[in-house]
Amino acid sequence: MFVRLITDSFRRQARRKLLTTAALALGTAIATATLTVALDVGDRLAREFRSLGANLVVTPEADTLPLEIGGVDYRPVDSGVFLSESDLGKLKTIFWRNNIIGFAPFLDVPVTALVGSSRADSGRLRTTLIGTWYRHDVAVPGGGTFATGISATNPGWKLNGRWFSDNSAEAVAGANLARRAGIHTGDSVTVQTEGASSQLVVTGIISTGGQEDDAILAPLTVAQALAHKPGDYRRLLVSALTKPEDAFSQRNPKSMSPEEFDRWYCSPYISSISRQIQEQFPGVNVRAIRQVAEGEGQILSRVQSLMWLVTFAALLAAALAVAATAGTTVLERTGEVALMKALGARQRLVGAFFLGEQWFMAIVGGLLGYTAGLGLAHALGQRIFGIAPGARLILLPVVLALAAAVATIGSLLPLRKVMKLDPAPVLRGE
Amino acid sequence: MMAALVQVEDLSKIYGGVRALDKVSFEVYPGEWIAIMGPSGSGKTTLINILGGLDRPTSGRALVDGVNVGTLGERELTRYRAEKVGFVFQNFHLVPYLSALENVMLAQYFHSIADEKEAAQALERVGLGDRLDHLPGELSGGEQQRVALARALINHPNLLLADEPTGNLDEANEQMVLEILRELHGSGHTILLVTHSQEIGRMADRRIELAHGRLVHIVANVS
Amino acid sequence: MFWRILWRLLYASRGRLALALLAVASGAAVCAALLNVDLDATDKLTREFRALGANVVVSATQNGDAAGTMDANLIGQISDLHLPDVVAAAPYLYLSANAKAGENNSGVIVAGTLFDEVARMNSWWKVDGLWVASRDDRTQCMIGELAASRLGLTPGKSVTVTYAGRAVTLQVRGIVTTGSSEDSQIFVVLPVAQELSGLGDRITLIQIMARGSAAEIQGVIHRLSTALPAAQVRPLRQIAEAEGQLLARIRGLLAGTVGLILVLTALGVLAAMAGLAVERRRDVGLMKALGGPVRRIMRFFLAEATAIAFTGGIAGCLVGMALSEWIGERIFSVSISPRLIVIPATLALMIVVSLAGALPLRLLGRVRPAEILRGE
Repeated sequence: MFVRLITDSFRRQARRKLLTTAALALGTAIATATLTVALDVGDRLAREFRSLGANLVVTPEADTLPLEIGGVDYRPVDSGVFLSESDLGKLKTIFWRNNIIGFAPFLDVPVTALVGSSRADSGRLRTTLIGTWYRHDVAVPGGGTFATGISATNPGWKLNGRWFSDNSAEAVAGANLARRAGIHTGDSVTVQTEGASSQLVVTGIISTGGQEDDAILAPLTVAQALAHKPGDYRRLLVSALTKPEDAFSQRNPKSMSPEEFDRWYCSPYISSISRQIQEQFPGVNVRAIRQVAEGEGQILSRVQSLMWLVTFAALLAAALAVAATAGTTVLERTGEVALMKALGARQRLVGAFFLGEQWFMAIVGGLLGYTAGLGLAHALGQRIFGIAPGARLILLPVVLALAAAVATIGSLLPLRKVMKLDPAPVLRGE
Repeated sequence: MMAALVQVEDLSKIYGGVRALDKVSFEVYPGEWIAIMGPSGSGKTTLINILGGLDRPTSGRALVDGVNVGTLGERELTRYRAEKVGFVFQNFHLVPYLSALENVMLAQYFHSIADEKEAAQALERVGLGDRLDHLPGELSGGEQQRVALARALINHPNLLLADEPTGNLDEANEQMVLEILRELHGSGHTILLVTHSQEIGRMADRRIELAHGRLVHIVANVS
Repeated sequence: MFWRILWRLLYASRGRLALALLAVASGAAVCAALLNVDLDATDKLTREFRALGANVVVSATQNGDAAGTMDANLIGQISDLHLPDVVAAAPYLYLSANAKAGENNSGVIVAGTLFDEVARMNSWWKVDGLWVASRDDRTQCMIGELAASRLGLTPGKSVTVTYAGRAVTLQVRGIVTTGSSEDSQIFVVLPVAQELSGLGDRITLIQIMARGSAAEIQGVIHRLSTALPAAQVRPLRQIAEAEGQLLARIRGLLAGTVGLILVLTALGVLAAMAGLAVERRRDVGLMKALGGPVRRIMRFFLAEATAIAFTGGIAGCLVGMALSEWIGERIFSVSISPRLIVIPATLALMIVVSLAGALPLRLLGRVRPAEILRGE
């Protein structure tokens, strides 16, 4: 009978019920959308940050100290310790392999450069040739290849012209060097070391604000040939998606209990990723590029806080809107209530009846809202970050519970009024 | 022969298949008190609503002071309600959050300009001079109806329409309201009053009796 | 009379109107807060990138191929300019020297500098131990982590640095970790490096940290270039473009959420007004029966919606701007100044939202008096 009364009520007042359900749906939709985006923003921004440059540097532990002034390494290449590029595929096998966006090996070779065809000494300059990958396919143990290089670690670098192709005799000149030596795109530059020489075509001029502006960038193979170090590199930059460091992550892993260690290892902190890299490559020193990591960490946590604040505000607004709607509908039916009471229905039953209706609308509205909210989150994420956030099923029960809770709270006061209603004056027509 | 103030010719109103009024015709002369009577469902309220500009006829004519109410546009109908008629309802229909004074001033406001002094005087005339600031909730049924009367008359309408004005009042208040109506009749107001009470019907000049939407009888009361 | 009736209407429905007011106020608060943050802080949000370390470098003009040195009086020239945007200016003199500690020996780059400027510029340096306190301390040094580990040094131990036959012994005060080239360098006070080099009062370059937007930093570069024709002034770490994109994303996010919240506010107002419309049906029917023109009746409701928009809007704005200051302090650690333009902007939005939400009241215009008054 109870169910019958409710279904009857829905049939009769279809339009009013539709309005309430629509309001609940809209409120839920927005709550779902904002929650989904908030949960996602950390990952999105982390990805954004990676376009600013690599955040990890790997160097051979036993190597001599770099002799860098203004970032240019003046060490000779005939001594020291080097790393083998054939091992690099292992980076994509660590626990957090999916967070490794890209990596680029570097071999810096001090060279003498001659612009144009060989002429007198006046055309020579001493500079550094930075050998690296722009986009290179790396074989991953277990199958497949991974295309990476500075296209992945430094996507923000601006180039006039185009990048060199892998394994080619091409190069990119730094803007300052180009200005000093009068190098233009298309020019031919001959670089020499002791016992080796290479003629390279300049395909572009680069300006980064860093050491590259005074150097020549060329494919790693060119540097390796000039330095007589086939298959070797001396420095590796890695770009990894990380979680900002917090008090927990900054503890010494050795002082952690097994569960804590697991938690730390399985979180993409820059410290745990560094450790995982070290496990794959014994004999290397892995360091976070602190200047980059610090800035990111701060901004990330700030934006996340902001997003949570905003989500909370949206949920509050949704709750208000839904409560207003849900509460109103209860008040409109004093006539019905009076009748029910006159027929002998007890207060509790009347209250349960209306609450039942509200909950039903909350569930239906909540389901509709959740679906719509996913669509909304999809559109928002696509528009803002170019990537749509994934649907999180866990949100469904959360959002439904919220809708039911809000419908209940919103109806409480009107419900009390209705339950306490004295039927007589209503029936008399006052 | 004086011109009729109200001329109803073949007035019909159909609500979704039901004939609420069926070719009703009659005339009302200035200063007359007409009682419209009949069992429930006979069309009395429909008739008075049409004359009050609250409803539109399906066919036929209803001329009030030369104006065909049925053909008025929305804006003209609004002016008609403000200027030509004053309506008193069984359920009083006062605005619950306006005082007695403000309820009367509301009618003035929609007509032209609200005049507090004039409104106060109108309420004094119906014996409510000391209740000006009371809300309807603080007034008895009879007092509320008296406010409604003051409101209906404040803009000096041609026609006073009343739909069972004493239906919700007790004996004493009923008499008070009827006394006021008698005074108004005496001072020359034209009154159309719907009632199912024979006693009240006999107070009017003429009785128009309806049944099933049709005019059955027009009876002149012997004075 | 209009105002009298309006006041009575407002008072009679104060419950529902309060709900609508609350919806508008909270919507306005959030909008005002986010707008203020957007106007004032998004710029400051990414200042971390620009504020971590040097962003301008002054070096000798490159004639020939080797990086030469320049006169140290350039330091004085820069400080004489009193540029307000220059937060720190640290000179460096680099030498490729040799370091010996106990049995450990290594070639190392020695950097002579002014520690107080360096400390101000490089807050992200992780220091195990202490910074060298004064710029005249000729007995102590700081060492990069890689160099320290190669030479087996910890704070308190000594290291001897030799260059071109000259030597100096220094005590390690702190070990620096940055993840960059500093990790392989030894830092000493400038006079010590100058003596070692034997070149006199020279420096290799000056690192400058300028604060402000990308355009403001560009301005600093321009001023320095004009004032120091003998040197080359260049920007460091050109991250402006990526930073701009990041900012655009964050702003897009804020705008998107503000939009959503506006919709919700409208919904709240709509719900309250719908209830109001139901409450008022009888009164509207009556007013029509009394000869009230629809337009005049609607004016009341328009006035109500506008009153809600203004009161809720202003209250919300004040709360919102206070909120934005709190957000600034707690979340961004910047002080956000209230931008007055936020007030009219939010009010305008709230008016649009309230009018949209008041739509149900418009439907009251279609009420037919006879139907309402006929009998309940």
